[in-house]
Amino acid sequence: MQDWTGILRLEAEDRKGKTVAKNVYFQGAFKVMRPIYHDDSGQPCYYILNPGGGYLDGDRYRMQIALDKQARMTLTTQSATKVYKTPNNYVYQETEISLKEGSYLEYIPDPLIAYRNARYKQKNIIRMEKGATFLYSDILTPGWSPEGDKFSYDTLQLINELYVDDELAVYDHIKLNPRNQDMNTIGFMEGFSHLGSMIVVGEQTNNDLLDRLHEAIHVNTNEYRIGLSLLPVPGFTIRVLANSTQTVERLFTECHRIISEEWFNKRPSFLRKY
Amino acid sequence: MINNTLSLFQLCDSNFPTGAFSHSYGLETYIQQDKVHDQESFLQWLRVYVNEQLVYADGLACRLVYEALNEKDHPKVWKLDRMLTMQNLPRETREGTQRVGERMLKLVESLYEIPILSEYGERIKQGQSFGHPAIVFTIVGHHLGVPASTTILYYLYSAVSSLVQNAVRAIPLGQTAGQKIIQQFQDVLAEATAKVEEMDEEEFGIVSPGLELSQMQHERVNVRIFMS
Repeated sequence: MQDWTGILRLEAEDRKGKTVAKNVYFQGAFKVMRPIYHDDSGQPCYYILNPGGGYLDGDRYRMQIALDKQARMTLTTQSATKVYKTPNNYVYQETEISLKEGSYLEYIPDPLIAYRNARYKQKNIIRMEKGATFLYSDILTPGWSPEGDKFSYDTLQLINELYVDDELAVYDHIKLNPRNQDMNTIGFMEGFSHLGSMIVVGEQTNNDLLDRLHEAIHVNTNEYRIGLSLLPVPGFTIRVLANSTQTVERLFTECHRIISEEWFNKRPSFLRKY
Repeated sequence: MINNTLSLFQLCDSNFPTGAFSHSYGLETYIQQDKVHDQESFLQWLRVYVNEQLVYADGLACRLVYEALNEKDHPKVWKLDRMLTMQNLPRETREGTQRVGERMLKLVESLYEIPILSEYGERIKQGQSFGHPAIVFTIVGHHLGVPASTTILYYLYSAVSSLVQNAVRAIPLGQTAGQKIIQQFQDVLAEATAKVEEMDEEEFGIVSPGLELSQMQHERVNVRIFMS
């Protein structure tokens, strides 16, 4: 498995309450900017860049993120991930995340936009020690084509594999194949265009938190449908069907805020990008 | 061989008390939202449920467990038990499936003596494994010498037959409508089995978003006659 289009390695550790990079390495079509400390909590925010502006036919990306004990980090992208048509080979992105006890990673990439005839496969493998905390979200848009028709990409496949102390605890596998599936029917996207997913794993999870989240985001509306559920390990997952990136982002921002306040007594920073 | 197939068929009987009648796997959410309200809309849901969720989890697991049993690869069976459980993100569906699996295991244990089944039961008791009907069913099919493809087909049939019974009660539909659905569904099940036989192991656990979301939403459905 060589010939990566882009490689990114980022290891961070806690130094007296401030998280700093221990090792940063990137090559090819991946880049990470100098961290920004949005507040005085010592938690840096790293922005990932794709200098090429988008993923092309057969591109392969690899990311490795590792946090030592007590290290805390926000990881995001600088803009939406764009996947262009892939006539020969699908685009593949693999991310390995390793979290030591007491560390906290929030990984909040921008939405994924797949253009006409794009095929994309993404695999996130998260290995955490008990006592680490992980928050992740992603947003799949209906893609983009010059004619404005929805779901003109070929396939989007996303796998999240999460281990706690080396035992599989979450296996999340979504594969959308609009060529062979009627996305609007029951069971698929059901008339919505955007799919949001959030996974949170943290020891502090309990039923009260779930009720609070539910109360905050569950209103009787046609704007979106949302489901949330406890995982077999302390943590939960959310799925949202909606019609715009903004709707999903608003809901996830609200959940993120509640979690940050309850668990870290902290308000999340606005990840200003534009 | 015919007798053995008949023995496996006993597990497909809707009177075989596994508790499957208390689980709708998200169907009840759609019924409450009035998205499933008659024979046609139920068939549409059932088709998607079988082709976009059941085959990638239970169906593929049947085949892989059968292959692992052929190779006496027990660790692979326990790995699949964990994967089946962990890919089931909606809590009620996950816990419900575990319960059905455990009950099926206990029943089958009183009918047959199969060493790996006792080991499975012991592992569940110790918290090392979780319990899943697809695994118990496949262990029995393999033990009886029923071919893999028949075992997969029968398993899918048993899942569909209890869902149809549940739909008849919950929508409600007439008994005749229920039987018509089961009849119409024979081709779908045969195709699903063929699909499972050709499936890549990498496709394990694929789920389509709407189905899963409805399984999660069931936790908050007001009037419930099902546990999932």
